[in-house]
Amino acid sequence: MSGYRLSVGGRINRAAPLSFTFDGKAYQGLEGDSLASALLASGVMLFGRSFKYHRPRGILGMGSEEPNALMTVERGPARMTPNLRAPSVALHAGLAAKSQNRFPTLRRDLTAVNDTLSAFFPAGFYNKTFMWPRAAWESVYEPIIRRLAGLGDSPTTRDPDHYGATYAHCDVLVVGAGPAGIAAAVEAAATGGRVILIDEQEEPGGGALADPAQWADLAASLAALNAADNVQILSRTTAIGHYHQNFVVAVERLTDHLAPTDAKGAREKLWRIRAGRVVLAQGAIERPLVFDGNDIPGVMLASAARTAALRYGVAVGRSVIVMAVHDSGWRDALALMAAGVTVSTIIDLRQDVAAELVDAARGAGIAVHLGCAVTSARGRLGISSITYAPGGTVDERAIACDALLMAGGWTPTVHLWSHAKGTLRWDGAWGAYLPDTTHEVMTCVGGCGGAWDYGSGLALGTLPSAKPLHKRKGFVDFQNDVKARDIGLAVQEGFRSIEHIKRYTTNGMATDQGKTSNLNGLQIASDVLSRPVTEIGLTTFRPPYTPQTFGALLGHHKEALFQPLRKTAIDDWARDHGAVYENVAQWRRARYFPRGAEDMDAAVLRECLAVRDSVGMFDASTLGKIEVVGPDAAEFLNRLYTNPWKSLAPGRCRYGLLLREEGFIMDDGVAGRMAPDRFHVTTTTGGAARVLNMMEDYLQTEWSDLDVWLTSATEQWAVIAVQGPKARDVIAGLVSGIDLSREAFPHMAVREGHICGVPTRLFRVSFTGELGFEVNVPAQHGRMVWEAIHAAGQPYDITPYGTEAMHVLRAEKGFIIIGQDTDGTITPEDAGMAWAIGQKKPDFVGKRSLARPDLVAQGRKQLVGLLTEDGTHVLEEGAQIVADPDQPVPMTMIGHVTSAYLSPALGRSIALALVADGRARMGETLYVPMPGGVIRAVVTGPVFYDAEGSRLDA
Amino acid sequence: MLEIAPMKLSAADLALPAEALVADGVQLALADDYARFSLRARDAAILEGLLGRKLPAKIGETLDGVACLGPDEWLALLPAGTALPLGEGLPVSVTDISSRALGFVVEGPRAVELITSGCPLDVAKFPIGRGTRTVFETVEIVVWRTAEARFHIEVWRSFAPWLWHALAAAA
Amino acid sequence: MLLIHCPYCEEDRPEVEFANGGQAHIARPADPSAYSDPQWEEFLYIRRNPRGRHHERWRHVHGCGRFFNAVRDTVSDRFETTYKAGEPAR
Repeated sequence: MSGYRLSVGGRINRAAPLSFTFDGKAYQGLEGDSLASALLASGVMLFGRSFKYHRPRGILGMGSEEPNALMTVERGPARMTPNLRAPSVALHAGLAAKSQNRFPTLRRDLTAVNDTLSAFFPAGFYNKTFMWPRAAWESVYEPIIRRLAGLGDSPTTRDPDHYGATYAHCDVLVVGAGPAGIAAAVEAAATGGRVILIDEQEEPGGGALADPAQWADLAASLAALNAADNVQILSRTTAIGHYHQNFVVAVERLTDHLAPTDAKGAREKLWRIRAGRVVLAQGAIERPLVFDGNDIPGVMLASAARTAALRYGVAVGRSVIVMAVHDSGWRDALALMAAGVTVSTIIDLRQDVAAELVDAARGAGIAVHLGCAVTSARGRLGISSITYAPGGTVDERAIACDALLMAGGWTPTVHLWSHAKGTLRWDGAWGAYLPDTTHEVMTCVGGCGGAWDYGSGLALGTLPSAKPLHKRKGFVDFQNDVKARDIGLAVQEGFRSIEHIKRYTTNGMATDQGKTSNLNGLQIASDVLSRPVTEIGLTTFRPPYTPQTFGALLGHHKEALFQPLRKTAIDDWARDHGAVYENVAQWRRARYFPRGAEDMDAAVLRECLAVRDSVGMFDASTLGKIEVVGPDAAEFLNRLYTNPWKSLAPGRCRYGLLLREEGFIMDDGVAGRMAPDRFHVTTTTGGAARVLNMMEDYLQTEWSDLDVWLTSATEQWAVIAVQGPKARDVIAGLVSGIDLSREAFPHMAVREGHICGVPTRLFRVSFTGELGFEVNVPAQHGRMVWEAIHAAGQPYDITPYGTEAMHVLRAEKGFIIIGQDTDGTITPEDAGMAWAIGQKKPDFVGKRSLARPDLVAQGRKQLVGLLTEDGTHVLEEGAQIVADPDQPVPMTMIGHVTSAYLSPALGRSIALALVADGRARMGETLYVPMPGGVIRAVVTGPVFYDAEGSRLDA
Repeated sequence: MLEIAPMKLSAADLALPAEALVADGVQLALADDYARFSLRARDAAILEGLLGRKLPAKIGETLDGVACLGPDEWLALLPAGTALPLGEGLPVSVTDISSRALGFVVEGPRAVELITSGCPLDVAKFPIGRGTRTVFETVEIVVWRTAEARFHIEVWRSFAPWLWHALAAAA
Repeated sequence: MLLIHCPYCEEDRPEVEFANGGQAHIARPADPSAYSDPQWEEFLYIRRNPRGRHHERWRHVHGCGRFFNAVRDTVSDRFETTYKAGEPAR
């Protein structure tokens, strides 16, 4: 218990106390506090346990760089967010925070045995140790590792919040509202262009918030920006990624800073910003120093103590020591003294420190030890003393303290610069990488551009120590629990590239993205390898800059809006009549229409029999439709499809087979010639966009000489298939202007006329093998015409059927479904559809490939029928087929089942299968090994019902 | 192991409401019925001759209810019931797509904000009369600025409920 | 998200309106049957994977609908130029 609230100072509202809890215990903070500052003010030093060793940890930094103090914040049922950084959590009344990675309590963590055994948990430990025996992985290792590892717990219930999203456009985007960012925004605003200024903190100001001397200027600048109507300031907004051409993605937190009762509307908002120019003003992050015990609670960055005191009015301790290798530590020490914080000692590794700093420190009563370094920090749950010695010697002395501040120099925040592929250059004076060149219209200003006066200092991997590296226990990456000696070990084991060292040790990985660890890790690798830092390389910073919620990234795409659900004009009717749906691409389609307590099998049986015996109706609206129009329409289709098209007379239809240029079946469908220069082409439901794109591709890039145009008409037409021996009788009374007689309107013909008073394109086609019509009407009339046909069909007990019955009916006829009976490697010959190829055509898409050696070779899989010996047994689609069930495992598979159903017409099961040389195996018995035993099936032709097609022309 | 209940991600049964949506600063309503035609020709003059009307010459421009969407493509939004000659035999394509899409009208001072919530174009800078095909999140739309604070949006029929509710969520 | 200059629309448009169409300037032969098996294999399957300057096809599918060609640097992802289908390679 060390920290306390100073009697004056800070930007908190001392008249507005806020009650909150941490690990169930009640605390009080002030309006304007962060969770971190409020806990520090209450004397809390212990904020969490570390990721791997479960070591006690306190606050390291006071911004989003904080690696240790990860909190789970609960905001009522189902609203639980893990891994929030305590300094970035705004305090509000009733805030309930929990520490993480501890079991059972923060102060007494049983799993901290990891730390005692840490000598056995070096870099690569998990990779090396848990490889064998393999069976132990799932039963032993994984559960234990899951218990011990991980950052926080995932919520287990649905997130009740909703999230917003938007695009935004501006001439200048400024990321970071510290003094440099604000100056850049003021300058940009004066040009009159649109300016967006975003900042991750609760209020704009950045580093100036911890410098009262700048508060007046800050307020004036912000007032001017707020008054300008071309400037938008987004606070609590983190730029998480910088993508191509000045596309910056940011997340604005809208409600988490409010008490849950005050939170209205979207919780967070995703900003997708396209900027003419990006100004990065992300500042710099102070670097920790590496020495034994540098992670004990109470050891923190000097800048954090400064922020605590000057922004929040909190002293981090009563007896504070500063370990500096950089001037900024001295400045912070003096600022702390001025604010009323007692700094007892400044230790600096440098012998030569600017006299004005040394004099000022001594003048303020601070003991100064130059040329010395801290050799260890001591204490278990909080620091109690340190030892220091002249650099690299064993001449140790101890001093008591309750806070140790590290001033290790500064690392410019170049994350967003790097996301956008900006290059970096090593700057020796900074001991850091600074922005160099970029393809983007992007500049860095202030600290992140190296243009800020933090003073001068040293940049080093570890503080000097008399101990060899492998005996030191200083941490480099606090969040991932990587020690200096782990990097030494990685090098010793042969890793040379920093990219490999990073992955082996996990230094700088994951949610932290190396904010405080990257440069120290690099320096240590450089020291161990005895090569300059610039030869070690630099790891890649990746988005997001800080962890984000899934909700923020989803934006609107949640729950009902997750993705569009496409429904046909007849969908409502189906819903009202109890349809059970299935999703096909983005479409929702009626799968079957159960009556009473029918299950799917019973409903499908009834629906199929109705089509065979009387008449059924089916919503086929989702079929893709493309209107192909122009003087060269027939020529175009002729070049594209396998079939001949030029000879097709207007008023007639043809089944078309479309190949990819590689010769494999891509899609199929019926096309009707509406006029000499107009075709109504249909595609599969899922293939509509793909086929149109392929057609446009050939038309625009290969055959741009053709006068023909393509228009998607999928959604123009509702399509009602009326199928069965009574189909003609049902629609006869509704249709006008079309002679429906068998002679005048034969199978595979199309007519234009009217049905129920609206225009129709009426196709006489069949995907069931029965007499059938497909009624196309403008979509807005689809429901009305459907109901009219349903009413007209009542005398015949017309039966609406769904996709499942449709599949069964077509399988009985051996009609393929693209993507089910084909898989992208099936040629027309394989599918037994050589009849669809125009043998006299010199060329069509895919024709040349059909003569490739592989495609004419023996042993290709061919589509055949399969009849199980036990007719009640329905094979599983996807099941593998073998010729010899007694062969040793692994068996030689010769094919697989593509479709399998119980056939109502045959009263037994049927299946389609792709089998090597299948057509040469007619009558042969094949075997389908399944978990329950081997199933015997006989190879047949793929047409199971009405092979001569007599029913089509009823 | 943690059991996660399956989520019914795509079972959402969104419907178009009968009433316009009136929110703070913006109103969303279904547009009137239109006769819609896709007009295609390599040579605009042939179409202009066939239809007896002038077509906008540049992609993105609109003229008298016709938007130029591509180098050989125009979208005509004409009073409901309008019939056009099909130009049989001519090197043109005139295709009735009246039923293919629905129109939305987004109107009010926040109209730009609403459309920009999911459309990646800088809609604020559209001059009045600009019409173009683009996307709203994953859904293809045509956006047409018909007045300073009014936009017409065309969307294919089956995507309309999703788009309506996505716009409503942003409103 | 890339900004891509559509040579038909004559403006920069966001990547989400476009679809990539693979390597550019691979013309389908007028008479494929005249191609030997190796020639045909080359046409179908053999593609470049350059580090740097790459000719590729894009389609402004949610815009003007046109296919066009582009020169893009595969390292920086920058577009050097875009031009209409049918124009010679740049």
